[in-house]
Parts: sequence; structure tokens; C-alpha cells
Amino acid sequence: MKTTTTTHSPQQTAATHTAWINGQPFEIQPGETILDFVRRHKGAQLIPTLCDAPNLEPFGSCRVCSVEVGKSGNGMQLKTVASCHTPVEAGMTIFTESEKVQKLRRNIVELILTDHPLDCLTCEVNGNCELQDVAARVGIRSVRYPQGQTHSQCEKDTSHPYMRADLSKCIMCYRCVRACDEVQGQFVLGVKGRGFDSTIIMGLDSNFLESDCVSCGACVQACPTSAIHDVYQSKAWLGQDKVRTTCTYCGVGCQLEVQVKENEILSITAPYDAEVNQGHTCLKGRYAFTFYKHPDRLKYPLIRRGDTFERVSWEEAYDYIADKLLSIREQYGPDAIAGISSARTTNEENYLMQKMIRAVIGTNNIDGCARVCHSPTAIGMQRTFGTGAATNSIDDLNYTECILVIGANPTAAHPVTGAKIKQKAMKGTPLIVVDPRRTELAKYATHHLQLRPGTNVALLDMMLYYIISEGLVDEDFVRSRTEGWEAFRDGILSLDIEALERVTGVSREEVRVAARTYGSARAAMSFHGLGVTEHYQGTYAVMQIADLAMITGNVGRRGTGVNPLRGQNNVQGMADMGVQPYQGAGYLPVEVPEVIHQFERFYGRPMPKKSGYTIPKMYDAALAGKLKAMWITGEDVVQSDPNSERVIAALKKLDLLVVQEIFPTETSKLAHVILPAAAFLEKEGTFTNGERRIQRVQKVVDPPGEAKPDGQIYVEMMNRLGYPQPSYSAKGVLEEISQIVPFFAGVKWDELGPNGKQWPVKPDGTDTKVLHQESFKRGKGQLVFTNFIETKEIAVHHHDYPFILTTNRNLEHYNAGTMTRRTPNRELAREDVLLINPVDAATHGIRTGDLVELESPRGKVYIHARLSDEVQPGILSTTFHFPEILLNRITSDVHDEIADCPEYKVVAVRIRKIATTEVAQA
Amino acid sequence: MSKNITSLSGRKGLEENLFEKIGQIAESEGYLTKSAAHQLAQDYLLGDAPVYGAGTFYDFTRPENKGKKVFVCNGSACLCAGTQDVVRQKLLHHFTPEEIGQITCLGRCHENYAYHYQGHNYSGQVGLHLLDELPQPQDRAIDTYAVAALGQAILTTADYTLDRARALVQKLITIPAQRLRDELQVARLRGRGGAGFPIGIKLEACAQAEGDPKFVVCNADEGDPGSYSDRYLLEHRPYKLLLGMMIAARAAGASRGVVYIRYEYPESVETIQQAISTMEKAGLLGSDILGSGFHFSIKPIKARGSYICGEETALLASIEGQRPEVRVRPPYPVQYGLFGKPTVVNNVETLANLPWIFEHGGTAFAAIGTDKSSGTKLLSVDSAFRRPGVYEVPMGTPLRTLVDELGQGFRKKIKALHIGGPLGGLVPTTMIDKLTIDFESFAKNGFLLGHASVVSIPESHPMIAYIEHLFAFTAHESCGKCFPCRIGSVRGKELLEKAQKNGYKIDRELFEDLLMTLKEGSLCALGGGMPLPVYNALQYFEDELAAYFR
Repeated sequence: MKTTTTTHSPQQTAATHTAWINGQPFEIQPGETILDFVRRHKGAQLIPTLCDAPNLEPFGSCRVCSVEVGKSGNGMQLKTVASCHTPVEAGMTIFTESEKVQKLRRNIVELILTDHPLDCLTCEVNGNCELQDVAARVGIRSVRYPQGQTHSQCEKDTSHPYMRADLSKCIMCYRCVRACDEVQGQFVLGVKGRGFDSTIIMGLDSNFLESDCVSCGACVQACPTSAIHDVYQSKAWLGQDKVRTTCTYCGVGCQLEVQVKENEILSITAPYDAEVNQGHTCLKGRYAFTFYKHPDRLKYPLIRRGDTFERVSWEEAYDYIADKLLSIREQYGPDAIAGISSARTTNEENYLMQKMIRAVIGTNNIDGCARVCHSPTAIGMQRTFGTGAATNSIDDLNYTECILVIGANPTAAHPVTGAKIKQKAMKGTPLIVVDPRRTELAKYATHHLQLRPGTNVALLDMMLYYIISEGLVDEDFVRSRTEGWEAFRDGILSLDIEALERVTGVSREEVRVAARTYGSARAAMSFHGLGVTEHYQGTYAVMQIADLAMITGNVGRRGTGVNPLRGQNNVQGMADMGVQPYQGAGYLPVEVPEVIHQFERFYGRPMPKKSGYTIPKMYDAALAGKLKAMWITGEDVVQSDPNSERVIAALKKLDLLVVQEIFPTETSKLAHVILPAAAFLEKEGTFTNGERRIQRVQKVVDPPGEAKPDGQIYVEMMNRLGYPQPSYSAKGVLEEISQIVPFFAGVKWDELGPNGKQWPVKPDGTDTKVLHQESFKRGKGQLVFTNFIETKEIAVHHHDYPFILTTNRNLEHYNAGTMTRRTPNRELAREDVLLINPVDAATHGIRTGDLVELESPRGKVYIHARLSDEVQPGILSTTFHFPEILLNRITSDVHDEIADCPEYKVVAVRIRKIATTEVAQA
Repeated sequence: MSKNITSLSGRKGLEENLFEKIGQIAESEGYLTKSAAHQLAQDYLLGDAPVYGAGTFYDFTRPENKGKKVFVCNGSACLCAGTQDVVRQKLLHHFTPEEIGQITCLGRCHENYAYHYQGHNYSGQVGLHLLDELPQPQDRAIDTYAVAALGQAILTTADYTLDRARALVQKLITIPAQRLRDELQVARLRGRGGAGFPIGIKLEACAQAEGDPKFVVCNADEGDPGSYSDRYLLEHRPYKLLLGMMIAARAAGASRGVVYIRYEYPESVETIQQAISTMEKAGLLGSDILGSGFHFSIKPIKARGSYICGEETALLASIEGQRPEVRVRPPYPVQYGLFGKPTVVNNVETLANLPWIFEHGGTAFAAIGTDKSSGTKLLSVDSAFRRPGVYEVPMGTPLRTLVDELGQGFRKKIKALHIGGPLGGLVPTTMIDKLTIDFESFAKNGFLLGHASVVSIPESHPMIAYIEHLFAFTAHESCGKCFPCRIGSVRGKELLEKAQKNGYKIDRELFEDLLMTLKEGSLCALGGGMPLPVYNALQYFEDELAAYFR
């Protein structure tokens, strides 16, 4: 045989890139399956499927996607293959509708129907059932088999507040099992038995409630029938409207598809085309929405009359507030007034709130909850990089070779991102977790550096030391992109590693190996959370994380960077919009004369010249009698800020406290005026997620009673105070924002599309996945050396209060629980509990369920204990979701030195057992 | 198949192997208990469901196994020999019906009456007599059967002594891997497990694949009822196998080996364990073998009762502690195999050929047999032959030679030979003269050489019952993943059961549709292959079967 020539004629080139679908030639792409190829060219409908799902790997179980293929190499002999897992090849001829294939599909579906109840008309998914569609498609007219063995007797599972199973309807496509594994990574679902006898199981063949189910609903969404469904019948076809919006629950920013009918929300699912969440979301996003119609919703403006609140009209409320504000400003000046904006409200609303406080009231006393969470991140990253936002995108997990998670528990607080990190770790991407707790991710980590709470700076210094001493520094990057190297290096190399080892409680060898893992990866990315920021040295720790990235060259590329996991849904946007006492919209510094002039020109009003109060300083000022009025939107500061008694005392001293909320809260109890606001499902605007992605929020239902969108309230109030702000629309305000915030220059409501845009958005509309690619925002990256200093909380109180309490979040509840406590999530987590190591528990005679008195220098709370090796001896951990406990009564007054962020993560406490519960006795 | 479980199980790998732990718990508790499954799930960072679910899969780890004390073979050969009712009757003197379980083929097809008791196999008249009382641990009934070869013998010649093994290893470590692979390509050795895939291509692909470590896995899960030629090699030629694995490892760049041996062959497990430990002690296995820098260790793993584990992807999932469900290919095991690493999977007989090829050269091997089927083939023949046993013949040998000369003809009237296991063809005796023993001849005539076991179907055995047995076997062994096999095997069994009662006649079109669905639609060779003998039966035994169809 002669060898063929190596030059390609046009025909040959076409032949190497072409396959035929039912006789028509199409171009193939490398690596795609026949199913991908056919769908790409002929749409999703041509080949029926059952076990295939958009976010799952090819599985090849149902075989209804079978096609006939011929290959030029074998004389075009036809072969039947499953298209979902057979790679397409050049020269292949694919027949999707041959007689044989149609017969095969019909025969398979007939077999399925021999073991499937034919009660379609009364089935929840009637009209929205993939099996029904495929059966109709292949044309089943009868089931010819005699009655045989079936699964019709399977018991229904109704154990769980959300999840339901009726496995008599199961077709054993494993989509639920695979979703639980490949998407969430929880392994709750499995299969028992084999062959025909195999059935889906939850946990140890129990039920959803008893299993380790995290209620993410991925299995429900994956199930092609109603074998696994939910209480909201999210797969029922009711001809309902669908509205796409952005989740309110965390900085991940999941896209949600809300099914609505006659102003009532039926259910929520996750769209597969969402770039952020790809068809996935968590139990908060998917199921915890019923708060919107909870009877506790605030529906009318209220004014305090003595000890009670009286319903008033909006006019009366506005008049009351305007009179008070104007007279306070008259008497004490504008700086006697302050506002706290809400990270749960939209960009447009945050922008308006800060504009109202600055341009209409005339003070920079505007702050938001970022103060008590990621303010150290904003400052730390601004000082090192120039931009206080995540450098990269969550999608960069697909490019990274090492993941460093510091002080964050994303599987609980950012579940979709947490699941993605867990997926990577399970499949072998090295994961380093720095956390005092053995979090879910720590279990899967290659290195878990379980340090004492409050010693991040010491531990990061150790890591930096080993990066340098082990020769892992990216010298090119350091030379060309950074400044301050020599002093930084000298500082690091002069550290006393032995002392740091003692301080952190982590062996130097463990740190060295972890540092090597991070430093030798071709691309390493870090994530950090409030376990970094909510400390005395929080801002410094953020700068050290930036140092780590810079000296190893891990900035400005895919799969690298410093990525704060922003807590609340729009906490990034809130800061972007200027809700900070020292920076206006677009982070423009408020004390710089040119900036003042720019704002004055833009707003048409004189601007305040000095930075305002941070939130903790507001309380100080109120207690000192200098601050007279506060307007607090969407933030239950009494429950969520530290040292609650002091917060209460401060608020009580005010002459005017306006609370704008969707529910009564611990804070609203102290208000003079309560304004009812619309929840996220009831208004439009944009949220910016933790990867700088500006996404649209769309109105799904009307607000209850007379409640109004926050933005509309601000606009009406601004006009009432004499400022001509045009009537409220999200689109209009966004346009105003794009004229003043430089990195919003190209943001237009109509161009945001289904997946938003990541800022900076250039005037031409192009957005940005990775920051600092060529240079840093501030020019060169600043390396900052920091020495560890023990927090006063420990230095002063450790002797009398020997335990360290660290606070965190659980999966089921969100922040102060205002919303989630008013959903069935409460059935999944009913109270805050104290995690205590079994060794400590034994010393104090404490068993799971016992009531424990937890006392700090600020006060006492009473809480039930749960024994757990998630915390080490000497360390305690709990959440602050429930006002019944009001855990922040005992948290401390220590704040981050630079950003004023409270140190929630280190509280000196002592414990005493109060009572043995009956549960524990049993 | 879960990539996550593959990876998480791989963290503990072969050293603290999840599947072995599941098996050990079942050995002491009778099955994998829920509490033990939960503990394993914690230890391996898995959920409860996949671990517990894996335990419920295997015959000897599932909850139904609890309380079973003795197991009666229900393999095709024992079925056709009609010996098992006697065994069961005798057992009922000692056990309640609930205590008597079933076991599918102990490989005692040459003398039948097979059962499994307290970890040992018994068969034949000796085994039957032991049931007058009950076998005691010292009553080890090692069976004997004829072994013979026609022409050049490769597999049935004497096994390696330790000295000869050392000499082979000494030579092996001096030969570059590429040369080994070239030699094997020249030999054109094709896999003996049934599919007949050339081993040279596999080794080359594994050598080129990225990943570390690489594995050589020996599929010693000879599950085809009626076959016992691998058992012969495992128990009587263990060094040929182990040296063959070492040659494959050297050629593929692998450092770890596994012999996955079926539960039903306890004697094989023991022999291989001993042989491995002998070689380890002699420094012929382990790290830095004979100071060469070549590392290769072999771990024997005892299976737990599942035919599907003979399918390579299911076998790998099994070792990982997953449910042994067949997975889609690509990726092939040579790219993504055990614990996600490049892996060569071959059966016992294939690997046992390698030492001969290594010593005599690929050309010498290729000279044996036919052009497309080189080398020899082992066949195991059942007790219907006058001289049951394991025979080695050059590929291309007439089937008649095996039947008449080696097997010395039948003791009773036989209407068909089921050759190549349950998925092999049903060869009517009238076709014996048309076939030669090689892949091509069988395929061309509408049969399958497969693993080349021979089960004889007596005249007296109703063909309808035999094909029902095949459906029942498939239904019992189907992993349950693909729809055609999971549901189709049961529906086929139900139709055939019904047809043998109260005059029900099977709709012929429906039956044809079912066979077509299994054949064309199944994910693996179990569902895809089981229609072949049924088609053969319908073709050659139409007269006998017509009454059951309409």
C-alpha cells in the first residue's frame, strides 16, 4: 500500500473536520460527543434523551439517545451507538431517525413503561415530564408485556420540610445520584441492590431528613419525572410566568428562575445557562423564599407613640422624619445625622441612600454592614493592589492548580462556590484550609492548618517565611510588578518561627509543606472570608494574603488571585456605590478637593469635606450625645453588631431612629419610625456579586400592603427634603451611576443580559474577568510586612475567661435570620448551638443538649451545647442567627485597627453547665 | 461510576482498600452493616449511600446474605448435569432452607455436585459423600481433572520454578520497555477474556498515557458458568500469571499490580497469595527488584460475588469500593483506569502467555495458531464429556478434535454445546464439524469463541428452560445501570417462565423486539451478548421452541 501524501487538499481538510447528520455535512469540534455535535447543529430536540442532563457527565444508561453511525473506514457498515458518550469522528455518518433507531427507542421506552405507573393525568409533572415527552416522541401506543415485577409498592418519603420522593415513578436514570455527587458533592443519594431490584436510597437507606441531605434540591431539578420532587412542586406545569432574578442570600449571586402565578410565587429553580451557578443553587436560594408572604411582614409605615407603634400614612411618616431631620440638622449640624445602608438592597438603592445622606443631608456619616464584615478586605486590597474587590472569577477554579481557603466556610455560607471548591478538592486539586474549625472543606483538604483563633497574621507570616526561605519567590514578578520587596523580605526573614509556631499552635513543618504546595503551583488562588477580616489585625492579614499572591506571581492570570468571599448578596455593590464614610460612589476619596468638586458638580449641592463615622463610631458618638439621628435600612444591628447592650444603649439615646425594613427586628423595636420596604422579589435593580458581576434583579410579585422599594422611599424622601431627584426607576438610577462611577461606565440596564457583567465595564460594554493583568490599579503592588500582635481580648481577659469563642454561620440561616427564620429552614435548624470539643465537655460534665451559660466580660447568654470535634479543646463555636439567644450580647469591643471591623471571631468566655436536658438524659 | 469516589478512594488506594474493608466486614457480620458502612463513609470522606449501596450489590456482602451457611452452585454445567437437587436434599438434613444460598459456578463443571461451605469448595462424588456428615476444615477436596495439550503447549507446560522465575526477571530488567512492547505487537496476542483485543495496543497506550502510578490489573473474575481454565492457571500455573503481569507492567510502565480473583475460587486466592509472598521473599516483587530500580508489587483482591465484575470498568469500580457498574468508554482504562490512573486490564490466560512470548519471541508465538488468532487457546469441557478437563490447542484446531480426541466424546446424548459462557453461542452438535477453535471461525458462523468454556446441553434438557436460565442469569447479574439489560432481562425471564406454564404463548414479534433491544441497546456485553445464544436456539431449535410462541 502506498503512503498518502501529507499535504491536505481542501477536500481532505473538509473530510478531517466533517461528519454527516442524516446526509447533511457539518463541522465537528474536537472532543465533542455525537449528541453534542447533533445538538449544536440541529438543536436539542432531534435526539431524545433521558439520563442526560446539562450539568452532568455522560452516563449512557437510558440508551434512548441511540443513533446509527457508519464510518468511512469500515465500508459504511452501520452500528448502533449511544450518542451521549460516543465521540464524533471525522467522516462519520449519523442517522438519528433510521427505522432501526426509532424501533430501538420505542422498545426501550416500552420497557420503562412496564415499570412505571401510568397515572400521568394526576401526576404533578403532567405536561412537564421528560419521560412523557420521550414516550410521546417515540410513539408508544401500547405496552405489550404481560404484568410482571414492578416498583409500584415503593413507600413515599415525606420526612423533609422540602424534599419529597416517590420512587414508584423512578426510572433509575441516576440523575439524582449524579447531581448529588457531581454537582453538590454530598453523596446523600445512592443505589441499593442490583439489576432490576436496584432502587435509589437516601443515606443508609433511610430518608431525606435522616440523611446528610443539605436540601440543595439539585436532585429534584435533575429528576426527569417526579420520583424526586419538592413541596413546591417546582416541576409542575401550570403555564406559569417565569421571572429570572438574582438571589438575595449571599455574595455568590445565583441566578434564579421564579415561577409565579397571580402574584404568588410557586417555586424557584436554577437556570442551567447561569454563568454563576450553572443550574445549581442552595436551599436558601431554592426553597427559603416564603418569607415574602409571612404574616410578620411590615406593610405600613409606623410611628412610635409611647410604647406602641401606630400605623400612619406615608405622607405623615415622611413629614415626621423630615421635620426631625431638618430640626436636628439646624440645631446640631448635619454630622449629628447618620445612615446605615443595606447590603441586601440593590446598587441603585445603596447609591441613592448615600447620595441622600451626603448631598441632601450634608454629611459623610454613611456606612454599611461591610464595616462589620469585609471592610478590612476593601482597605487591605486597596492598599496593596489598588482595588478592594476579588481579583478573579469563580470560574477560575477551572484553571487553578492550588486552592487556599482562609477563614471561610463556603459550603455553609457560599454554598454554590463551596460545592465547586469541594468538587475540585475531591478530584485532587490541592486544597489548603487555614481555619480554627474542621470545616467541611478542611476534611477534604490536603493541608488543614488548624490555628488558634486570632493568629492569622502569625500563620501567614510563617507561610511567607517558607515561600521565601524555600526559594519559591517569583522574582520576575516581584521585580517588575511590586514595590517594598527588600524591607518586606528582611522583615519576614527576621521572624522568630519558633515563637510563631507557639502562637498559632500549628507546627512549622505543616506550614512549610503547605507553603510549598501553594508556592510551587503554576496557578494558585486564594479565597478568604470573615475569619480573616473580623479580627484585631484583620486588614493586615488581608495585606499578607495579597503579599502571598504577589511574591509567588499569583495575580493577573486565570486561576490565581485574591478572592474575598463577599458575605451578603450586594456587599460588593454597596461599597462600590459609596456606602463608606471615607469614599463616595466609585471609591472616590471624600476628602480630596478635586473629588469634592466633582461630586458637587454632579450632585449640584455642596458636599461635606471630612470623612464621616464608621458604624462603631456612630455608636460612640450617639453614646457621647453627638449623634442625634440615624436611618438604618435592612440591617438588624442590635442582633448582628457586637456587644448588643452597648448598641441598644446607643440607639436609645437618639432623638430619631428611622428603621426601614421588611420585618420587625430587634433594632426596629427601638425605632421612632418604621418604614416598610419591598423585598428582593418585589422590586428591580442590580446586585453585584463577589466576583464583581453586576446582575439584574427583577420584580416577581407586588410588595405587601403599602410597602415600597427602598429606592422609591429614598427618592421620595430626597424630594421631601428639597432635592429634585427624578422619580425612581432602576434603569434611570443605573444610568446616573454610570456617569459618576468610573468602572460602571459601560453598564446599561438593557445590556446586562441574563448573566450580567463583571466590572470594570468599559464604555463599549466589555467587562473584566481578571483584574491587574498588566499592572495594578495603584501601579505597582505594595508589599507590606506585618508582625503579629495578640488581641487585647485575649491579652486582657484570657486568664478569667479561658475559652475562645469564635462565631460563624450555618447553612440554613442567613445573617440575623430575619428572612430564613421565617421559612421552613427553621425546621432544619431551630436554634443557635454551642459546639464544644468532647474533651472540654467531659471536664465540665456537659453532654449534647445540655444548657450552658456562656459568659464574657460583656455579659451572658444561655445556649444548648453540642459535642463536636470540629473545634479543638479550648475553642468554642456558635452562630448568631436567633434573637432568642442574642449571642452578640457577649461579643467584644475590639475592632480591626484600620478598618474598624469588630472582632467577632475571638471572644474570651467561660462556660458553666446550667441544666441537663431531657434529651441528654434519655 | 463517580470520579469523586474514584479519587477519594484513591487517597487510600490499595493499601487501605475500601473494597477489601467492605468484604472483611461482610465476612465477620454476614453483610455490610449500616453502622460499618457509616464508619467507612466517614473514614473515606464519602457519603453513607454509596458505601452502603456498594455493600448491597454483591452476593456475599448484601443483607440477604446474612444467615446463609452453605451455597449450592447453580451454574449452567451443574444445571445441565442435573446434580444439584441431590446436593440440596442432602443439605436440608443439616440446614434450614433459609440457610442454604446459591452461588453461581464454582468452576467444578467437570464433576458437578458443587457447593461452597465455610470458605471451601466441594464437588463430585467425594463432595457429595462428605455431606453425609458435614465437611470438616481438614476435608479439603481439591479436585482433579484432565489437562492435556495438542501441538505446541504454552500454558499447560510446567510452571516456573523460583530459579527459572529469577532468571526471567533478571533478563526482564535489562530489556527496555519499548522493545518489550514491540515484541508483544509482533506476537499479535489477543485478549483471551472474550473480546479478543490485542494486548500490544493496550500496553502501548498505557505506556503513552500520562499519570502515576500506573496499574496492571489481572481480571481473575472468571465468571462464565462452565469455565474453569483460568482457575486451572491460577491454581496450577500461578508463576506464569505473576511473571506475565510483571512483563506487562514493565512494558506499560506500571508499578502496581492487582489480581482480582473471584470469591467463588477460594483455592485460587490462596495459591496466588502464596505465590506472591514467595516471589516477594525472593526479591522478585516489590521495590527496586534485583537492584534494577524497577518497582512492581502485586496485591491479590478477593471479589465478593458478582458476574459483572468481569467487565473491566465494573471490575475497576469494584476495587475502588464503588458499585461495580459498567461505565462508558472513552475514557478507556489505559487513560483513566484504577483510581483514575492509566491501567491495563487483562484476563489470566492472556497474561499467562507473556512469559513464553518473552522467552521465545513474538515471532515464535505468532507462528502458532492462525493468522488472525495467534497462539493457543485453553478450553474447559464439562462432565458430559468422557474426559472432562482443561485442554490447550493451537488456535485453528477443529472443534471436532477437541470433542472427540481430547474430550473423548460424550457420555450421554447432547444436543448443543454452549461455548464461550452465557454470552457465547449455542452450537448445535450438527455444527461441530464446521467450526475451528479461533475467533474468526466462530464469529463467521454466528457464534462466539469467548473464553472458550464448553457446557453440554443434554437432549433431555428443554431448550426453553435453558434460555430461561440464561435470562435468569442475566437478570441476576445485571448491574442495573442500562435500561435494556435491567428491565429487559427480567421481562425476558418472565415471558419464558410464563410460557412454560398454563399455555401462555409469547408474542414472537415482542420477543424479537426484546432481543433486538438488548443486543443493540445495552451498554456492555452482558445485555448486548445474551441474545446471541437465544438467537442460536431460535434458529437451530425452532421445532422444539415453536410451541411456546405465537
